[in-house]
Amino acid sequence: MAMLVDIDTKIELGFPYWKPIRRRFGPESPFFSSGNIERELLAKQVALDLTEDEKHRLQNLVDEDDREVSCPIVGCGAHLISLEDFEDHYNARHTASCSVCSRVYPTSLLLSIHVSEAHDSFFQAKVARGYAMYECLVEGCGLKFKNYKGRQQHLVDKHKFPSSFEFFKKAHLSKKARQKQQRKQAIHRSEETSNKMDIEGETIDGLVSAVSKLSTSDSSPSSISFGRRNTRGVTFVPRAVQQEKKADSALTGTKQ
Amino acid sequence: MAEDGLTSHRRDPIKSSVGNVAAHRRRQNAVAVGKERRESLVRAKRLCRVGPSGDDSDIPIENDMIIDEEQSILDAQTSSAVEELKSAVAFKGKGAMQKLVGALRELRRLLSKSEFPPVEAAIKAGAIPLLVQCLSFGSPDEQLLEAAWCLTNIAAGKPDETKALLPALPLLIAHLGEKSSSPVAEQCAWALGNVAGEGEELRSVLLSQRALPPLARMMLPNKGSTVRTAAWALSNLIKGPDPKAATELIRVDGVLDAILRHLRKADEELATEVAWVVVYLSALSNVATSLLVKSDALQLLVQRLASSNSLQLLIPVLRSLGNLIAGDSHTIVAVLLPGYEITANVIEVLGKCLKSEHRVLKKEAAWVLSNIAADSIEHKRLVHSSEAVPLLLRLLSTAPFDIRKEVAYVLGNLCVAPTEGNGKPNLILEHLVSLVGRGCLPGFIDLVRSADTESARLGLQFMELVLRGMPNGEGPKLVEREDGIDAMERFQFHENEDLRNMANGLVDRYFGEDYGLDA
Repeated sequence: MAMLVDIDTKIELGFPYWKPIRRRFGPESPFFSSGNIERELLAKQVALDLTEDEKHRLQNLVDEDDREVSCPIVGCGAHLISLEDFEDHYNARHTASCSVCSRVYPTSLLLSIHVSEAHDSFFQAKVARGYAMYECLVEGCGLKFKNYKGRQQHLVDKHKFPSSFEFFKKAHLSKKARQKQQRKQAIHRSEETSNKMDIEGETIDGLVSAVSKLSTSDSSPSSISFGRRNTRGVTFVPRAVQQEKKADSALTGTKQ
Repeated sequence: MAEDGLTSHRRDPIKSSVGNVAAHRRRQNAVAVGKERRESLVRAKRLCRVGPSGDDSDIPIENDMIIDEEQSILDAQTSSAVEELKSAVAFKGKGAMQKLVGALRELRRLLSKSEFPPVEAAIKAGAIPLLVQCLSFGSPDEQLLEAAWCLTNIAAGKPDETKALLPALPLLIAHLGEKSSSPVAEQCAWALGNVAGEGEELRSVLLSQRALPPLARMMLPNKGSTVRTAAWALSNLIKGPDPKAATELIRVDGVLDAILRHLRKADEELATEVAWVVVYLSALSNVATSLLVKSDALQLLVQRLASSNSLQLLIPVLRSLGNLIAGDSHTIVAVLLPGYEITANVIEVLGKCLKSEHRVLKKEAAWVLSNIAADSIEHKRLVHSSEAVPLLLRLLSTAPFDIRKEVAYVLGNLCVAPTEGNGKPNLILEHLVSLVGRGCLPGFIDLVRSADTESARLGLQFMELVLRGMPNGEGPKLVEREDGIDAMERFQFHENEDLRNMANGLVDRYFGEDYGLDA
């Protein structure tokens, strides 16, 4: 693992490793509040003839005030009664996944922005023609920019995103997806020479290749073709076309 | 809120009947009373409903919500009782003492009835100055008792009601003296306990008026309700946050001895209140902690934990043990040495608490274990080989969240050697492999997914251990299998930058481009 030495030191400096320490709490610390409440309820239980049931309900009600939590996903802020509630909320609201590359996004806005920017060749075409296509990620803002960097700067300046934030983060696909992609790459390379490329213009092709290198998939095909006729070898196309393509790659017969 | 209900019913008289009005208002009241009820139940103050001599059982406790009418009747009765008291105080003729005691008793009864005694009405009618007068020196015991009882219940209410007792404090404290009769002293202690339970400010006032020494002395006898009440009052008085009172208490002659004696021999009720005193002593005062650790307090606490099944007692005893272990490094280093019987006993009794059905006991027992597991390698070995670990593993997958977090601390601490300097801490491979092999990883990944920052952090830190330490590069595969990558990728859009960086760092380092190529 010699080649990872650099990354190693970075992690060395950055990651807060587990360190066993003794933890002490003050008597009125929230850590002890459950026990304190239990003390008082037990002491008054007999005098007030509280049933066990009532006591538990009271205990829960008071505990709940402490357990309220707000959703930590950027831009959400939903208030949840409990941590258990959070899991339901997360699964309901923040697991929109891309059917092309399986990446998961916390809102449908972000998902659709991702699909356009990463999988839509027409998006790239419009960018090439100078349209402002890169949309701000913050719901309700709506500003659009001509390039990725411009939008990034806007996020940092206007919406206080950290400069280290990357919308196009490298993907970490499941093993299965990775193997599939690596196979696609292999097929693609072997078919490269025999493929007929139907492109709308040299310049677009050049720009598209350049842009596709910016994408986050692990494999960047050296060529992309548009249009339904040449679906072979195409990796980054909208969903509808992709389905056709999947049928094709099954036909080309890969060694499993 | 009740007003609104009334008006809306007035507008539609056809639709409502008398019964409906009452029921409707009861419901409207329910929310307000519910909250007030909750608050009054969890306060550190206690109403006195039965006198020290145990008599007066003719008062039924009313649990039902009091509708406006009932409350206002009670208030009216209270106001007139105070009027009666006023004239009785002024009266100098024959039978004055009887008249006065009678008036006091009447007021006391009204203040001991329902769940929410008419304290406000009493104060408004001017009860407090009168009651202070009734506390004057040389008054008969019965008079002192009834007056102190009234004040006790007035002080059990809301903050401003408790504060109204300020003029009475010097006299209440004075009647704690050893010349006072026991029931009188006890009732005064109770009143003062309520005042102390209100807050820091009033505690400060009480301490400056020297309430502590006489209360401490009242805790010295072997048994009796007075000892118990005094212990309870002291627990309220020393709860800080200023540690001075706790330190002052342990320094009073005979107190440490009495505490140990009660822990050893007292009945569970008394032992419970004394244990709470120890909770505050051990949480706040290093002097007290040190003295307690050097005595046989630890052994006595362990014995109580082993032999009792009373939740009321177990909570403060467990917490005292926890505080002593957390607060004093001497405890672990010199007293709870690995190989000593006391150490094995402590771990065993903590296991018993983990098995309990009570949430508080499970959570705090795990906390104590996490501190023992934070110590030397020998301590970690002891904990790891005890029966606590199977219990902890089970709790990690099934228990409520706050318990799982504490369990995580224990298990993680078992896997990491004591830190020296600022370098990367060393793993205890044997424990890591053993615990991961017994299925603890999913539980940690669950914590990574939670909305609680501290837990997510713990989960990620443990994942780092697994990724770094598991032999044969198994770590990443194991993590992937349990959907760990998924869990970490959630942080990409998380608002907490530290967690984001931690998660991204791990993913970059262990699941980079070459991951899985050799598979």
